[in-house]
Amino acid sequence: MSTAGEQDAGLSLQEEHESKTHRTKRRDGDRQKKKRRNERRKGGTRAGEGEEDLQAVSEKRERSKRKRAKSKQETSRRENNEEEEAQLTGVREVEENVDKGKKKQGSTKKGEKKEDGGKQLVKGKAREVKKKNSEPETSEEDDDEEEDNDKDVVRLECLSPEELEKLKEAVDERKKLIQSLRGKPWAMKKKLVTLRESQEFVEKYEGALGKGKGRKLYAYKVLMTKKWMKFQRDFENFKTACIPWEMKIKEIESHFGSSVASYFLFLRWMYGINMILFGLTFGLVMVPEALMGRPYGSMPRKTVPRAEEASAMDFAVLWDFGGYAQYSVLFYGYYNNQRTVGWLKFRMPLSYFLVGVGTVAYSYMVVIRTMARNANESGVGDDNSFNFSWKMFTSWDYLIGNAETADNKFASITTSFKEAILEEQESHKDDNIHLTRFLRVLANFLVLCCLAGSGYLIYFVVRRSQKFALDGLENHTWWERNEVNMVMSLLGMFCPMLFDVISTLENYHPRVALQWQLGRIFALFLGNLYTFIIALMDEINLKRKEEKIVKFNITTWEASLYNGTVSENSTASPVTIHPADVPRGPCWETMVGQEFVRLIISDTMTTYITLLIGDFLRAVLVRFLNYCWCWDLEAGFPSYSEFDVSGNVLGLIFNQGMIWMGSFYAPCLPALNVIRLHVSMYLQCWAVMCCNVPQERVFKASGSNNFYMAMLLVILFLSTLPAIYTIVSIPPSFDCGPFSGKNRMFDVIHETLESDFPPWFSKVFSYASNPGLVLPFILLMVLAIYYLQSTSKSYREANVELKKKLQMARMTAQEQQRNNNASVQDQESGSLNSNINKEY
Amino acid sequence: MLMVSPAIALAFLPLLLTLIIRYRYFFVLFYRAVLIRMWKDCVTGLSREERAFQYVLTHATPGDPDSILDTFDVWCSKVEFISNIGPKKGKILDRLLMEHSPLTVLELGAHCGYSTVRIARSLPLGARLYSIEMDQRNAAIAEKVIRLAGFDDDTVELIVNPSDEVIPQLRSDYNLERLDFVFMDHWKKCYLPDLQMLEGSGLLGKGSIILADNVLFPGAPKFLRYIRKSGLYEWRIHRATLEYSKGIRDGMAELVYQGIK
Repeated sequence: MSTAGEQDAGLSLQEEHESKTHRTKRRDGDRQKKKRRNERRKGGTRAGEGEEDLQAVSEKRERSKRKRAKSKQETSRRENNEEEEAQLTGVREVEENVDKGKKKQGSTKKGEKKEDGGKQLVKGKAREVKKKNSEPETSEEDDDEEEDNDKDVVRLECLSPEELEKLKEAVDERKKLIQSLRGKPWAMKKKLVTLRESQEFVEKYEGALGKGKGRKLYAYKVLMTKKWMKFQRDFENFKTACIPWEMKIKEIESHFGSSVASYFLFLRWMYGINMILFGLTFGLVMVPEALMGRPYGSMPRKTVPRAEEASAMDFAVLWDFGGYAQYSVLFYGYYNNQRTVGWLKFRMPLSYFLVGVGTVAYSYMVVIRTMARNANESGVGDDNSFNFSWKMFTSWDYLIGNAETADNKFASITTSFKEAILEEQESHKDDNIHLTRFLRVLANFLVLCCLAGSGYLIYFVVRRSQKFALDGLENHTWWERNEVNMVMSLLGMFCPMLFDVISTLENYHPRVALQWQLGRIFALFLGNLYTFIIALMDEINLKRKEEKIVKFNITTWEASLYNGTVSENSTASPVTIHPADVPRGPCWETMVGQEFVRLIISDTMTTYITLLIGDFLRAVLVRFLNYCWCWDLEAGFPSYSEFDVSGNVLGLIFNQGMIWMGSFYAPCLPALNVIRLHVSMYLQCWAVMCCNVPQERVFKASGSNNFYMAMLLVILFLSTLPAIYTIVSIPPSFDCGPFSGKNRMFDVIHETLESDFPPWFSKVFSYASNPGLVLPFILLMVLAIYYLQSTSKSYREANVELKKKLQMARMTAQEQQRNNNASVQDQESGSLNSNINKEY
Repeated sequence: MLMVSPAIALAFLPLLLTLIIRYRYFFVLFYRAVLIRMWKDCVTGLSREERAFQYVLTHATPGDPDSILDTFDVWCSKVEFISNIGPKKGKILDRLLMEHSPLTVLELGAHCGYSTVRIARSLPLGARLYSIEMDQRNAAIAEKVIRLAGFDDDTVELIVNPSDEVIPQLRSDYNLERLDFVFMDHWKKCYLPDLQMLEGSGLLGKGSIILADNVLFPGAPKFLRYIRKSGLYEWRIHRATLEYSKGIRDGMAELVYQGIK
């Protein structure tokens, strides 16, 4: 009500320049309008509204006249109310006086002269004293309220100078009170209440006290504040609407709880990162090469060799990223080693190298920053000490908006209570702990066995595939050729299920169980990935041996070519050989890139196919076979699948690891990944909503985000290791890629420093890279980190101490208060206050 | 030739293990309820219910319902499997009967008399139990079991007919005015039509209790959906496990008829 009143004040004040006779009419008209159309407050559109609502206005006017006659009753009633509310009599009195004065003025505004204000006030007071507590409630409640609003408006407009003076005094007093509040010997609660009330009062009337312009300015300010607030609210809504997939994720969160939603949030975050990686590689590497580099067919490295030309456009070849796909900007081998390309003098090799380093550096930065931010959010607190209180007050997930999930949550809370009670009893008994421990050890043993088995299987398959590769791939079936990928995908799919089953032995809380599960799958995937990398390393070595032979052959080939031409005609005219016919090295970098791209593709396919078969097909079968089956398929045996948070999160993380590892050799990987994430966002959102059921034990996953991040960081580190190793230790191929002809890939930096920068810079750089300088610097950094860490630790401890103290103080205060209440019930409140204040 | 390499086949091993471990109770149930039954049917030439009755006859004390029930439980958990209500869910049934002490009880699906005996022994004096069994042979055995437990015709009336034929006739043939308690344990598909038939017959009064067994496994989804929607009942599901089996979840639906408000 008060806001409405203020608004009206603003409006009416703004209209002051309009003719005064129409004013009340207008206002009433406006109110009528407001009642009918809820919100329509644009000053410019109000021109004809007065006439429109003439009927209503006249009616209203009459009523308001009646009202004015009754106004004294109201005033007294209001005062009563206020008195009931009032606790601070001293300050209140002033306000009341002012209020009364205003009300009086408001009620008598039409006919009376301004000079009478004072007398009227006195009279009114006298009457009020008489009528206090004796007035019955008037029947027209709504009208009363409206009238009150009305008065708020009127009051400010036409106060007598005397009353203005009083108001000013009151405001000043309030201000003083606010300033001196800190020193007052009152209870904290009282102080807070007083402070709030006084601030409200000052805010409300200070602006109105100014004359003419000031008042207008105030009204304008109020109006603008309202508009600004509305704009802000709209803007917030707009911002939410702009966040991609926000509504989708919210919907999922409401149906499946926050643990499932955390996966989708993570997916979205990953999508953002990949967008930036994609932007970097696409904008700084692929597009410049495609636009400004030499065109296709101009060099051997940019041409499909003669032997493959026939099948270069076949779908099977393209699907394997051979043929035209291999000899395109998508892979390392296509790039030329000329220092600058195009009229922009774009330094292609340098850009290639820096983008490769930059993507990794950027990823590190983002991951660590996010981790730090999340770490701040998770405050200091131990979960174990108030187990039941935690369960009681925090176990409900307020984001659930679906009856089924709510039922599940309800059931899970009751069971968790039961379990907690049982646990509490058992912890006193302390006999079953050995069994639990034994089961946990057993579970871990089984998981280890499983991991070892899967590791051996992959090792076996990789060895076999190397044998196949030596034999020549053409002699083997599709199954045998794709054995490694197949086995890796299948193991990655099925082993987590086995882990899940095994983990039921352990009887952990689902959040803890999820983390264990994540850790185990992490180990499995890591094993798979590193087996893959080791196999890849072997292959790189093979290719490098091949390269040596080819290099030797090429020199002899060139020599024979030149000898032949020289012998034919001695003019040494340029020998034109089509680039497709030139013999070339195996280019191990492109091979690595291709392997990663294939892995990503097969991984994506497996994910989608599992989704379609495991979730969708199963859901369809369960749904429709249920009509003619001998047991309840939905509630019983196959049922619908649950969303597998841990598996999906880890799939995402490892996928990202492969992107980081491979994107140096295949610039197309981030683009592929963006597409993949985009599709899987929609596909998985759809699949979750359409084929999955909420987990039986829905739990909050607020703490798990940082766990994901930590794993991502580990993977990032582990995936950059092999990439950096290959970059640093293996010389690049001699006839393909942006670094061909160099001894090492990072030589491009030296080259740039020497030729593009002034000599002093390279000198400084060489000094700076001197180990004598670098080592102390690293030492200093380590010391700084150590210092910061120890300080943060001490701060945290101090925080905990303070918290404890605060709790103690509160408890003692409560006790004291209770004692006081018991002993000094009949004493005055003042003495009580002073008692409490002594404690403070 | 499409030949899958042994490595790929080995990769399916975790899936197989997972399935076996996760659904082990179902496999055990399948083994006990289907394979052993077929084997024994071939070997002995008797039906499963007859074998159960023979065992009860030789091991239980005649005239003592508790002993008969215990013997049944032992046979069902140790020897073969019969989907009786079982001791655990039976306790819920007993409790409900004790609390409400109904005078007229209808049982749909007596099978071999286990639940009939169970209900009859906790009935108050003067109460009457109507038990409907469709199968002739089962009904004969149920009759014998009931008599063995010492309940006469006044307490238990066995009606050998399909439930959908009997229910409309209950009022006219058996002079029933109102059913206080209905226990359903026959074909899961018949739960819903029989419930609707009971509603139509007007035998249910305010406060009549209907207890339906096995609503989660094998399950009666349509029945559950109906009682959720109909609004005629106050209902709850007692969650338990399937009789004589630990890991399979099952439940009994308890409905209290409220009538049309």
